[in-house]
Formats: sequence, C-alpha cells, structure tokens
Amino acid sequence: MRPTVQEQLLGTCRILEKLVSPCVADPYARTILEGLIGNLRMLTSALPAVPSFLNSDNGATAELLKQLQSIVAPDLASSIALALGQPEPDATDMAALEQRNCELREIFSQALCNTDLTPELRSAALAHMTTRSARAPMRYVPTNSSPVKAI
Amino acid sequence: MGKDLKPSAALAAIQSDARLGGTASPVEQVVTGLKALIIDEIPSARDIAFLGVERAAGGLSRENWSLDASWVDETGAQARCLMLMRDAAGTLLATDRKREFAVLKALEATSVPAPKAYWVDYDGHRLGAPSLVMDRMPGTCDYLVLNGHRPLEARLNLGRAFIDLMARIHSIDWRDRALDAALKVPTGAPSRVELAHWEAEYRRVQLEPHPELDYVLAWMRRSAPQAEAIVLVHGDFKPGNALIVGEHISAKLDWETAHLGDPLEDLGWVTNPVRKREHQIAGVWEREQIVAAYCALTGLQVDEVALRWWNVFSCWKLAVIQLTAVSEFVAGRYDRVFQTPSWLYRPMFQMMENTA
Repeated sequence: MRPTVQEQLLGTCRILEKLVSPCVADPYARTILEGLIGNLRMLTSALPAVPSFLNSDNGATAELLKQLQSIVAPDLASSIALALGQPEPDATDMAALEQRNCELREIFSQALCNTDLTPELRSAALAHMTTRSARAPMRYVPTNSSPVKAI
Repeated sequence: MGKDLKPSAALAAIQSDARLGGTASPVEQVVTGLKALIIDEIPSARDIAFLGVERAAGGLSRENWSLDASWVDETGAQARCLMLMRDAAGTLLATDRKREFAVLKALEATSVPAPKAYWVDYDGHRLGAPSLVMDRMPGTCDYLVLNGHRPLEARLNLGRAFIDLMARIHSIDWRDRALDAALKVPTGAPSRVELAHWEAEYRRVQLEPHPELDYVLAWMRRSAPQAEAIVLVHGDFKPGNALIVGEHISAKLDWETAHLGDPLEDLGWVTNPVRKREHQIAGVWEREQIVAAYCALTGLQVDEVALRWWNVFSCWKLAVIQLTAVSEFVAGRYDRVFQTPSWLYRPMFQMMENTA
C-alpha cells in the first residue's frame, strides 16, 4: 500500500518542518513542535519493529516463567500454568501481542518480587530484563536542542 | 496594558472564560490573573502594566512565564522583572506552591542565592491554576555547564561551587526558619518516607506492568538506609536548575521538590552515574572528588553503601517521573512524548549487584 506508513510519517515530518515550523514564533510551541517531529521520525523506524519485539519478548518471558514455576508459591504457579496454557496470539496482531505481553509481565513481576530466587534464576531474570530494555524499539527523543537557555 | 480589573472582575472573567470553553488565550489569562493577584496583595496598586509576557520554552513540570511588571502604589512607582510559575494541566511533578513559597521565604535570610518570592496564588483562583510569582534573576541556565566551552579550571571551580551550594543548603537551620511547620519532618528513615511517596506516585501513573521497576523497588525496600542527619534537601539539585553569571552561580531555582530528608538524597542525585555529563568532569571532578569535597564542607560522613542506595533511588525516581509524563501524555494533558525509561534499568541492576 502506497504511501506506506513510513512514507506517510516521513512526509508528515517534512511538511511540518518546511511549512509549519517556520510560521511558529512562540518559543514553547516551537520546542513542542520540534519534539513531536523528532518523535514521528523515531516512530518511522520503530513501528515496524514493535510486533516482532513483542512476539520475541512474549516467548522469552514465557520460557522464564516455566523455569520459575517450580519455585514460586502454589497460587502463583497456578497463574503461570494458566497463562502458559493460553494460545499465542497472531504474530501480526499488535493489540493481542500487547495484551499477552502485559499478562505475562504482570505474572513475571509477581514471581520476581515474591520469590527467593536461586542465583541462576536471578541471573537469568536480570539477563532477560537487560536484553529486553536494550531491544525496546521505541526511544525517547530529547526536545532540548540546546542545553543553554537564558531566563 | 488595558484598564485595571478589580479582583472580583478578574475572577469573574476567568470563570466566565472557563464556562465558555476557555476562549481566553494563556497570555490573557496570565495578564488578567496577575493583575488581580497584585491588587490582592497591594490594594493601593494602580496603572499596572506588563511588558514582554512570554512563556519560556523550558519547564517540564509547569508553565514558566517571563514578564516585566510596573505599577504605582502608595510608596511610588514600582518596576519588577518577574517569573510566574503556573501549574500546567499536565505535569511531571505534582508539587505544592504553598510549600515552595515557604521555602523561598525561608531562604531569603540565608547565603543561598534564590529568587525572592513575591506572591502566591495557592489554589489558582486568580490565575486559573496554582501559581507563584518571583524575581527573574540574572544569568544563563546551562544544564551541561560543567562540560561546556569554559576552560577546565573554570568548570572545576563551578563544580566546587555547586557542591559548596549544596552544603550551604544542607546546613540551613530549618527549625530556626520554621520550615518544620511548612515541610513535614520525616517520621522514621527519610529513605523509607521518600520511597513510600514515590511508590505511591508509581502506582498512580503506572499504565502497564514493569517487572524491572518492581524488582528494584523490592530491593530498595529491603535495604533502605538510616540518615545521619535531617536537612533541607533541594530534591532536584542540578546545573539545569541554576543560573550562572560569569563564573558564579547567581541563583538556585526550582524549589518545588524541596523537603526535609537525608542529605545523601541530593548527593546521590549528583553522583548518579547515569547523569555524569551534568554533574561530573571526567578525571578531575568525579564521584570520589565530589564526595570528598562534600564531607570536607559539611563534616558529615558518607556511607558508601547508603550513597549507592540513593543512586539507585535517583534512577528509580527518574523512571517514575518519566512514567508520569507517559501517563499524562496518554491522558491528553501533557505536550511532550516520553517513553518507558528502559535505558535506566541496566545501570540500576549494575549498582544493585555491585552493592551486594
């Protein structure tokens, strides 16, 4: 489908920068506009990566929950079994992937904070969380173009 | 700048504007509200005029308005360069103007350079949102001043001046200044009080599970340190909240997060490894030098494990502030787009592992 989502986002950035931005004199509005354009550019590359990120993270979190299942409290173990028994969502259905991600991460959070983890499981959990944070596709785009401001 | 309004007329104008769906521009709201506030405070004021009313581009937590005010009252003609800080619809920090006003008033008789506070609209009945009016101080704000264009010696002197300023803030006799009435004296360890406060904020703004932040929170609960002293804590001590004239700090700004607490909270904020570019100069003004300077200035001992806890807390608090921005943006009240602060997770995990 043309224009693609990326083409539309980039085109919107171009128009905002070339046509709209020069007409914005108010300093606050201008800063906000620059931030929004920067964020749209970030989304251009991040958006296509979100479904595969969620899909992969769901798989990794589920794998970790399997390992945690044997050492957590019985009611939490039941929650893990129930969650792991659910069918995986369609890999292209972003809303379903998001929902699944939230469900798994909620249980993971409980298991992580309410369990005396073995050193191996703690290392595995930390590695999982660190890898996830490094792979997260969406990033904050700073809005301050200059560190200096006169008051 | 137009005819003076009586307070009741100003309030009616704002209320009428709100009923009409807010057709008055923000500038008109500020002008009308500030006139009313001045008349409240100085009943003899007349010929009130404002020049250069402009919202500054900075200010992530509230609206910062710059303006020059003049009026005539019973003592003669007056002119002030002012800053008006007005609560924004969406904010990163829910803070109290009453507390901030009390802190600024308490600082007036100290050696800490801070703006003189004039008037406060506690509940926003004049300006549409809680607001504080203060002197506009001279100087330039540069959050990367310690790693900017100045020669190394000048930057090092500024680094020392910042820690000297922190030590002076911490040495203020807050009982003598009656700040214990305006600010809550922590009951129990300040680390636990701050953690409880920020955990409540976290739960309030949380939109999705964050196992990483829950894991750090559980660790902080288990290892919260005791304080060696209770002092006035700035709460957001950084070059980005200061003004510089030449090679000197002309003002410390943004006192809305000031509170009574553990001195290591401010020290933990500036020795936080994720913000080295703001607070440190590689090779000459790093964690070791900063802590040594602070100890020499205050006579306090700094427990390294406790300081590390406050470093982790600083990152975690920063994460909660960013989640607040996410929540406010999603709710349609905030204009800047923030993301889940996943970049903070790894440094927090590393500090926790190192402490263990």
